[in-house]
Amino acid sequence: MGLLSIIRKIKRKEKEIRILMVGLDNSGKTTIVLRINGEDTSVVSPTLGFNIKTLTYQKYTLNIWDVGGQKTIRSYWRNYFEQTDGLVWVVDSSDLRRLDDCKMELDNLLKEERLSGSSLLILANKQDIKGALTPQEIAKVLNLEAMDKTRHWNIVGCSAYTGEGLLKGFDWLVQDIASRIYVLD
Amino acid sequence: MENEPPNPTQEEALDSDPALQKKHQSMLDRLTHRHQSRLDTTLTRRAAADSSDPSPSFESTSAFLSRFSTSKSSVDSQLDQCRLTDPAHLKPHLDQISASISDLEKLVAENSYFLPSYEVRSSLKTISDLRQTLENLSAELLPKKKFSFRNKGAKKTEPKEKENEKEPEKMEFIVPASPGIWNKKGETLVRKFQCSEVGEFTISDLDSCEVRLMGSVRALFVHRLRNCRVYTGPVTGSVLIEGVEECVFVMASHQIRIHNAKRCDFYLRVRSRPIIEDSCGVRFAPYCLSYNGIEEELRETSLDEETENWANVDDFLWLRAVQSPNWSVLPENERVGLIDISSSQES
Ligand SMILES: Nc1nc2c(ncn2[C@@H]2O[C@H](COP(=O)(O)OP(=O)(O)O)[C@@H](O)[C@H]2O)c(=O)[nH]1
Ligand SMILES: [Mg+2]
Repeated sequence: MGLLSIIRKIKRKEKEIRILMVGLDNSGKTTIVLRINGEDTSVVSPTLGFNIKTLTYQKYTLNIWDVGGQKTIRSYWRNYFEQTDGLVWVVDSSDLRRLDDCKMELDNLLKEERLSGSSLLILANKQDIKGALTPQEIAKVLNLEAMDKTRHWNIVGCSAYTGEGLLKGFDWLVQDIASRIYVLD
Repeated sequence: MENEPPNPTQEEALDSDPALQKKHQSMLDRLTHRHQSRLDTTLTRRAAADSSDPSPSFESTSAFLSRFSTSKSSVDSQLDQCRLTDPAHLKPHLDQISASISDLEKLVAENSYFLPSYEVRSSLKTISDLRQTLENLSAELLPKKKFSFRNKGAKKTEPKEKENEKEPEKMEFIVPASPGIWNKKGETLVRKFQCSEVGEFTISDLDSCEVRLMGSVRALFVHRLRNCRVYTGPVTGSVLIEGVEECVFVMASHQIRIHNAKRCDFYLRVRSRPIIEDSCGVRFAPYCLSYNGIEEELRETSLDEETENWANVDDFLWLRAVQSPNWSVLPENERVGLIDISSSQES
């Protein structure tokens, strides 16, 4: 047995999935992570650096890295690319002014070769806000249809306030990753 | 240490007696550990699936720091050993160091939610310096890779890069304008929001204006203002401020982020810590706005309580433990006092 297959085997056994949450600052990443972990979301301070949350989801252990989105720390993102199974790109659907910025950062991220194998979930967050763009509109703005055909991706509208859409999004992500990584089970 | 003063305050005793200090620390550690495991079980119960965090958590800055510095010195000494290491064993040794640095990074990540921002930033800096040292050593000591053909492994995707480089595609979708106030000079602008009528609101490109927003909104974006005064009722989500100069803001919000502000005064009521980035000469004071019904609006949006967070400003670009030179508390005798905008007519 080659070393690689041993490593794969160990990884499969642990059923651990590593997920990187990224997106512009203020898009709602930290609130989403707290919400799916069932924690209090009434006071959320902006993230400096990063947080890790480990939680059990179905039969998998999710290791979620929530990385700050300020301009000055976007350059740190690359430190977390290694071994990322799933990428969650969070969009503030009510922040119309920074959609260009959002598209540019996402495009840059997807050029990253180390992330080429990871599934991409785009969360069009803050759907509870009146005037927020719908997921379909966000998909157009971000020009998702033009993405590399080999990429597994999905866009889901959600609200970290109401919780709506979060399970749908993570269900898809976890299933997609699981069917790729643990396919030999 | 027998000659203790008769009734030492706890701090004094702790300062002067290392044994007591140690005991106290271990008690704190036990307590935080208990707190953490309780927290874990609550979370476990709360999340439908059984959620647990297998990694240790201290919730105490000093415990974190001592663990961090121990691990760091161990990495340092491993790094020092590189030059003495048998070349045959060098590669595994370097890999080992790299793994230790990753562990250190994980330690910071897992504890960053309770650490003061200075500690997080300086730990991140330490880690990135260690990485750099390791990279330099590897470049210097490891034999250069020989060129070889590989038929396994990732396919190169270089040519694709070129394709992506062509003209950025035109957006086929026109982004609608969000409700807001734009491009004004020398005006007083008043808006009154009925409950939940407005989601997000934008204030952008104003010069020498006074803006009064009454009623609550979910999200507020403030962009490119010069010499303006902005008074707002409660914002239930966040306020994002970018590119403002010589302005006065009086705002209540769950979260406030300030980017690129110069010489501005902020009178805030905020539930989390306000943050500044790329800003200088900004000063902070407590919220001081009044109009008919504001008390009730603040209560309904959980912003009635004075959290004192207006003074807990985090400068995300200030690395050192000493106070950031970019912001200060506005001296009491320079504050504006209560601002009453009750009589404003919507414009
Ligand atoms: N209305 C609304 N506000 C949200 C939602 N998600 C997050 N927010 C608010 O947006 C702000 C930024 O959230 P945060 O999680 O700190 O963003 P991050 O910088 O991406 O981690 C906070 O004030 C949140 O309360 C949402 O779904 N709806
Ligand atoms: Mg955050």
